[in-house]
Amino acid sequence: MLGRSSSRVVLFASLWLLAVAMPSRVAAQVTDPAGRTVSPLTASAPATVLVFTAVDCPISDRYAPEVKRLAARYAARGVRFWIVYANRGERAEAARAHAESFGYGLPVAMDASATLADRAHAEVTPEAAVFDAQGRLAYHGRIDDRYVDFGVDRATPTTHELDDALTAVLAGRAVTTPAVPAVGCAIVRQTP
Amino acid sequence: MIARSLARWLLALVVGAALTPADAGAQGAASAVTFNQHLAPVLHRACAQCHHAGGAGPFSLVTFADAAKRAKQLATVTTSGFMPPWQADGHPTEFVAQPRLTPDEVALFRRWAESPVEGTGVAPVPPRWPDGWYLGTPDLVVTLPAGFTLPGENSDAFRIFAVPLKVPGTRYVRGIEFHPGNARVVHHANIRIDRTSGSRRLDDADPLPGYDGLMARSAEYPDGHFLGWTPGQIAPLVDPDLAWRLDPGTDLVVQLHMQPSGKPEPVQPVIGLYFADTPATRTPSILRLGSQGIDIPPGDGAYVVQDRYTLPVDATLLAVQPHAHYRAKDVVGTAQFPDGTSRTLIHIGSWDFRWQHVYRYTQPIRLPKGTTLSMRYVYDNSPGNPRNPQTPPVRVRWGQRSFDEMGDLWFQLATASDADRAALTGEVQRKMTAEDLIGLETMLLSTPDDSELHDDAGVLALLLGRPAAAVGHFRASATRRPGDAAAHYNLGTALTQAGLFDDAVAAYEQALKLRPRYARALSNLADTLVVLGRTDEALARYEAAVRADPLMPEAHNNLGAALWRRGDLLRAERELNEALRLRPGYAEAYFNRGHTAVKDGRLVDAAGHFRLAASLKPDWVAALTTAAWVFASADDAEARSPGEAVPLAERAALLTGRGDARTLDVLAVAYASAGRYDDAVSTAREAQAKAAADPALAREIARRLALFERRQAFIDRQ
Repeated sequence: MLGRSSSRVVLFASLWLLAVAMPSRVAAQVTDPAGRTVSPLTASAPATVLVFTAVDCPISDRYAPEVKRLAARYAARGVRFWIVYANRGERAEAARAHAESFGYGLPVAMDASATLADRAHAEVTPEAAVFDAQGRLAYHGRIDDRYVDFGVDRATPTTHELDDALTAVLAGRAVTTPAVPAVGCAIVRQTP
Repeated sequence: MIARSLARWLLALVVGAALTPADAGAQGAASAVTFNQHLAPVLHRACAQCHHAGGAGPFSLVTFADAAKRAKQLATVTTSGFMPPWQADGHPTEFVAQPRLTPDEVALFRRWAESPVEGTGVAPVPPRWPDGWYLGTPDLVVTLPAGFTLPGENSDAFRIFAVPLKVPGTRYVRGIEFHPGNARVVHHANIRIDRTSGSRRLDDADPLPGYDGLMARSAEYPDGHFLGWTPGQIAPLVDPDLAWRLDPGTDLVVQLHMQPSGKPEPVQPVIGLYFADTPATRTPSILRLGSQGIDIPPGDGAYVVQDRYTLPVDATLLAVQPHAHYRAKDVVGTAQFPDGTSRTLIHIGSWDFRWQHVYRYTQPIRLPKGTTLSMRYVYDNSPGNPRNPQTPPVRVRWGQRSFDEMGDLWFQLATASDADRAALTGEVQRKMTAEDLIGLETMLLSTPDDSELHDDAGVLALLLGRPAAAVGHFRASATRRPGDAAAHYNLGTALTQAGLFDDAVAAYEQALKLRPRYARALSNLADTLVVLGRTDEALARYEAAVRADPLMPEAHNNLGAALWRRGDLLRAERELNEALRLRPGYAEAYFNRGHTAVKDGRLVDAAGHFRLAASLKPDWVAALTTAAWVFASADDAEARSPGEAVPLAERAALLTGRGDARTLDVLAVAYASAGRYDDAVSTAREAQAKAAADPALAREIARRLALFERRQAFIDRQ
C-alpha cells in the first residue's frame, strides 16, 4: 500500500515533467464516433480550431450556427474546424446523432480522456481553441461575448474572440488576448 | 494491532501529502456530503420538476449519474442564484410553489462538487412524473396546430397562436396546465382568451400556424385571472367559486417566448383546462399599475417608473405579476396601509425578462379600504447593461415589442361583495383605459402615421368621455386615409359627441361621398341633423339608412322617433316594431313606442312600454322617470300603478344623487299617488330647492306642492 501511494506521487511528477517537455507536434490521438483513430492536431493546416461541445448543453447548442458560419468562412483559407465532444462518458452514437441534427458537416472527435481538452485548457462547452500551423496553442476561450453569465446574454455579441484570433494567426500575428474565459457547461473530466 | 494502526497512520500521512486539494474534502468522512443522503432530496424537491426526462428543463437531474456529471455546474448556478429560477426576495414560504434553496442547501452543492460521491445506502426513490398531467386529467385538451418551426438562430423569438376552445356550453375554468412540447426552445408563454375573432383573423392571415406581431386588443385575461406559464410554475387549481367563465366561441391566445436552440425546432405546445362542476360565484378583480408613457434616454442607467392607486373598498390580494422587458433591473411593489404601516409585496432586485412568474401568496394579504398600492421600477438603458438589446443604447419608449419597454404590476384582488367589486372595477377600468390611451399616444410618437393606432386611440378617448381627443385622433386617421369612408365616419361620430355638429355633418357627408349606401353614416348624420333642427333632412337620411341596411335596428328606431316628432304615429309605430323585431329587448325602441302611445292617448299601452324600457335598462334615468310619471299621474286609472311608480322614481333619484329637480319632482308625484303625502311634500320642497335655475319648473312644482299639502295626488291632464 505504502509503495503504491509513493509511485502515484512519482507518476504525477513525471507526467508534469512530460507535459512541459512535450514537443508541440506530438500527436494527440483520439477517435471519431465510428471508433477510428483521428489526430486533429497533426493536420497540415494554417490553423486548426477545436470547438468543445456536448450533447446536452443548451449554450453550446445555441452556438452551432455561429460555429458553422465561421467554419465555412475560414474553410477557403484552409482552416480545419473540429467538433470535439469533451465529456467523459459521452456515447459515440449520441454524439454522432447530435452533430448530425445540428448539421455541423465538420469532422467530429470523441475526447473521452480529455486529451484535447487538456491540450486546449478547455473548461466548458462551448469553448474554442486555435492551434497555429506549428501546432501551438494560439488562443483558447469563448467564441464571442454573447454570454455574460448563466441566463445573461446579449442580443448580439460585441466582441468576436475566435474570429479575431483566427485573423491574427493567419496573418502571422500573435493573438492579443490569448485566453478569455467562456460561459457554458463545465466539461466532465472524471467518471462519477 | 499496534503495528497495523501505525501502518494506517503512515498511509494516511503519505496519501494526504500526495492528494490534490479537490480530493482532500472527501477525506473528512465525518462531514462527507453524499448524493444519497444530502443531494438527492434537494434535487428531487427543487430541481427535478423541470429537470427530468421530458420535463421543461434542458437536461435531467434525477439520478446520481445525472448530478455527478454536472456537480461543478450545480455548485456554480446555485451559488449565483441562477438556479432554481426564482427572482423575488422575501420569505421562502411567502409565495406558492417557490423552488428555493436555503443557504445551507447551496453550501451542500458546493461541498459535494469538491467530491461528488454517491454514498452508502439506497438511493432515494426519484419523484415520478407520468407523461400525463400534474393537475390530473384535464377536462379539455387543446393542442396548438402542427407546422410551426422555430429557426435555429437569431435572438429570442415571439409568436402568437389563436386556437378555438371547443365547449358545447358555458364552462367555468379552475385552472390550466401548459406543456411546452419542446422544452428546448419554449421559454415562457403569455396566455389570454379572445371572445372575438380578432386574434383568429390575425392568425389566419399568416400562412403558417400562429403569427408574428402584437397581441390583439381583444385578447384579454379572463375576468379576474392571470394565465401564463414559466418553467417550473404550475398554478394550483382555484376554488370552484373563483373559476372563470368560458363561453362557446372563445379562442385561447398563446404567445410563446422562444429561445432558438441552434437548429430548427418544431414547436407544438399542449394545454389542458380544468372545469368546475358549478358556476363561479365570486370573480376576482384585476388592477394594473404602471406607466405607458415610458421614454428612456440612451445611456440613462437609472430611469424610474412609478404609479399608485388607493383602494376604494376592502380587498384581499391573491397574487401579483410584474411585467417589464429587458432593461428593467429593480422591481418593487408596496402596500401602504391606512394605519401608516407598509409592506413590500414584491421585490426583484435583478429583474430577468425571461422569468415572468405569477407570484401567488400562500397567505392572501388583507388590504383595508384606503390602502395605497404602488409600484416603482428602475431601468438601465446604459451600455453597461448586457441585457440591453440595443448596442449602443437608443432612446426607448413604451411599446409591446420586446425591444420597446413596459412597466406593469398586475394585482389579483378579491372583494367581499359584488357591490365592492363593481365599485373597484369601475374605477380600475377607467384608470387602465386612460393608461392604455397614453400607451397608444406614446407609440404614435414613434409612428405618427399609423392610422390603426390613431383609430384605437380615438375609440379609447371616446370611452373615456374625451371627445375632443378622439376628434384629434380620428382626424389624423382620416387625413392619412382620405379615401376610406370608415375613417370619415369615425371622425363624424367623435365630432357629434364633441358637439361640433356642423363639422360632423361635413365628415359624414364625406364618408357618404365615398360610400353612398353607408347605413351607419346615414343614421348618425340624421341624428346630428335632428340636433341642428334640420328635421326634414334628417327624416330623408333615416329613410335612406333603412333602405341601405334594412337589418339595422338603430336606423328603424331613429326613423320611428323622427316620424313620431312629425306626428306620423302610424309609420312611427311600424318602424319601432321593426326595430324590436330585429333586436328583441331594445330598450330605446320600447321607450319610443311608449311615447307614440302617449301621443295616441293609449296610456295603458304606454305604461307597459315604459315599464319594459326601465326594466331592460335599469340605470337609464329617463326611462325610470317616464315610467314612474305615467304610473303615478296617468289620466287613466287603469294605467296608474303607484306601487310601481315609487320604486322606479326612488331608483332614479338615487342614480342622480337627489340632485336633479325634475327627478325629485317625479318622486314627489309618485309618493302622492301612493298616498304618502308627507313624503310627497318633503320631496317636492327638496325639488323646489333644486329648481331655482328653472322658474317654469319651479312654478309647476309649487302648484303640485299645494295639492300634496291638501293631501291630493297629481293627475297629468295633458
